[in-house]
Amino acid sequence: MKLNRRAFVGTGMAAATLSAPMVHAASHGKPKVVVVGGGAGGATAARYIAKDSAGEIDVTLIEPTRSYYTCFFSNLYLGGFWDLENLSHSYGKLASDYGINVVHDWATGVDRDAKTVSLAGGGSVPYDRLILSPGIDFVEGSVPGWDMSAQNAMPHAYKGGSQTELLKAQIMAMPEGGTYVMVAPPNPYRCPPGPYERISMVAHVLKANNPTAKIIIADPKEKFSKQGLFEEGWQKHYPGMITRIGPDFGGENVTVDPSAMTVDVDGELIKADVVNVIPAQKAGLICDAAGLTEGNWAPVDGHTMVSRLDENIHILGDATNQGDMPKSGYSANSQAKVAAMAVRGALTGSRVFPAKFSNTCWSLIATDDGVKVGAAYEPNDEKIASVSSFVSQTGEDAALRKATYEESIGWYEGITSDMFG
Amino acid sequence: MAHSSGLFLSVIGGAALVLGVAYGWTARDYRASELDALTDRLGQLERSNSDWAAKADQASSLEARLSELETELAAAVKAAEDAQQAALAPVATVADPLQQPATNPVIADASASEFGNPARGEEVFAQCRSCHQIGQGATDRIGPHLNGIFGRRAGAHDGFRYSDDMQMMGADGLTWEIETLDAYLENPKALVSRTRMNFAGLKDSQDRSDILAYLRQFSASPQNIPEAAPTAQAREVELAPEVLAIVGDTDYGEYLASECKTCHQQDGSDRGIPSITQWPTEDFVVAMHAYKRQIRPHPVMQMMASRLSDEEIAALAAYFAKAE
Repeated sequence: MKLNRRAFVGTGMAAATLSAPMVHAASHGKPKVVVVGGGAGGATAARYIAKDSAGEIDVTLIEPTRSYYTCFFSNLYLGGFWDLENLSHSYGKLASDYGINVVHDWATGVDRDAKTVSLAGGGSVPYDRLILSPGIDFVEGSVPGWDMSAQNAMPHAYKGGSQTELLKAQIMAMPEGGTYVMVAPPNPYRCPPGPYERISMVAHVLKANNPTAKIIIADPKEKFSKQGLFEEGWQKHYPGMITRIGPDFGGENVTVDPSAMTVDVDGELIKADVVNVIPAQKAGLICDAAGLTEGNWAPVDGHTMVSRLDENIHILGDATNQGDMPKSGYSANSQAKVAAMAVRGALTGSRVFPAKFSNTCWSLIATDDGVKVGAAYEPNDEKIASVSSFVSQTGEDAALRKATYEESIGWYEGITSDMFG
Repeated sequence: MAHSSGLFLSVIGGAALVLGVAYGWTARDYRASELDALTDRLGQLERSNSDWAAKADQASSLEARLSELETELAAAVKAAEDAQQAALAPVATVADPLQQPATNPVIADASASEFGNPARGEEVFAQCRSCHQIGQGATDRIGPHLNGIFGRRAGAHDGFRYSDDMQMMGADGLTWEIETLDAYLENPKALVSRTRMNFAGLKDSQDRSDILAYLRQFSASPQNIPEAAPTAQAREVELAPEVLAIVGDTDYGEYLASECKTCHQQDGSDRGIPSITQWPTEDFVVAMHAYKRQIRPHPVMQMMASRLSDEEIAALAAYFAKAE
């Protein structure tokens, strides 16, 4: 049984025949793709479309920052395991090696009838297909007493860059025996294990520099990602340092006072030295501005990541409501490849294969103590559904945990070269 | 068994194929399998009487070499003692430091400057077999075959695609001799920084001298390569001929491969995660089926492989075999 391409396509790939002939009308030159947001979703999508269309598609990437600081691995910077400069990536290669038109500006709106994206700096950019990958913004009023004007006193550090640096500086400046409070977010939010990896990294730093300091988590969720693994690790590495107040004890009823540096947890007032407020989250503002959200998120069809509200706009990553995938850089990168293939298929008639997705989230608990959780996903008409999954086990030996940590470094290098070339 | 923990550690960081196995194996599993291998080996040795003569010869030559080394050692120790006495004498305290006694190489050097036990070297070589063949009929696989490795210039074996760094080292004059092979085996990336060989290294100098003695047998006079080819090994998983014969669709493979590249870097970098570019098709197919059947334990790879059809595995293999 020797299968050739023809037989294979005939038997296995109904999707290929559906999308093949939709070649773009060449009435106004090359087809144009505009990508808004240069993170794990947007940078990957831009690069794959430019690379695989070999000049047949004009790709514009709109991203306000000139250096991108990854949110993933920023906790390792807090813990002293990763340098700040190693979190930073330039868009230079996307421009020079892939011919992508990189525009450093804010996209402020989308005219879906005229098919243009308006820029804060003036002017607009036309598209045949638009890809939005704006990440998250915060839900106003989700933590009473906190708003964006308080982010210096009480940093969120939940978007990469200066906020991460600020939080690190505040942790290092804590007085001896001081108190760090995290206000953890409700579901769904970016990077499910992220807040708890951060707690581990803060504990790691304090154990070395300020061992009598205390860490308190006010958490509105009953359970959290990798809970058994984190709690085992905290017990082992940081006994007595970390207290988590779940919803049973009022962890969902939190207000803050940034000028007094206090946190009120269900009527109990905590005076803190560092308060890390991670508010409730929603799709990046551009999605709402473009009228593509339902509730806090932008619904998409998992077969192509196309918006359920506009057939010419694909949405990626944290901003989407797609089904079972967690909001993570890995997920956004995975979704970007499916969207890139669909967009090329629609604009140039290139082959389109059935979508497959995957995600793995690595977390570091202490030196050489890495854990991971992951799953594979496939779309159905309703959502992107999980088809298989795994998670690290409690009680694993040190060699396996170390190998898992080293694997996460390999992944960081892999995904950042997959994003930025 | 004193060296078994050292072996286990090198397996953990070892070649791509072995890497997955090591994640799920405990040291006890490893020892059990090592014990099985040794039991098999013992059975083989007992069966082949003809081996005994050769072994006896080998033993007597090793004994002769040992007594030579003992003589050298005694002489060296005496020289060192003499020199120390000279250094302690009042005249020597003001002597030029260049005239201080040289550190004795026999005592101080932990590198494998001598060939060890080839039979044991064959056992140590087991972890290399996932990528390297040696002996009669050996061909290039994930790594080049190792017949005639001694005296060969680095990166110079025709028909194998080496990393740029390996080719550069060869062009700069690196030739495989006992010292260079010893250094490479101890820490591959210390000698050739971006080598494609994804192996953490053999830290035990005895392991290295034994493996070098084993390799040496396939170099001195290649026409004497033993008839019993060590390459005649069962595949890791039994695959039906029609599965192996599937011709992969490289376009589909390229799309599927985009998922792999989130972790496996296309340029061959392999920190923490092995490189998989330019693997021979069959090795790739066998490895993926081994993950799919959960013979190899790595959970991410099991998950990735679990939902790939035979055709999809073939497509990936076809793509990666040619990937730049």
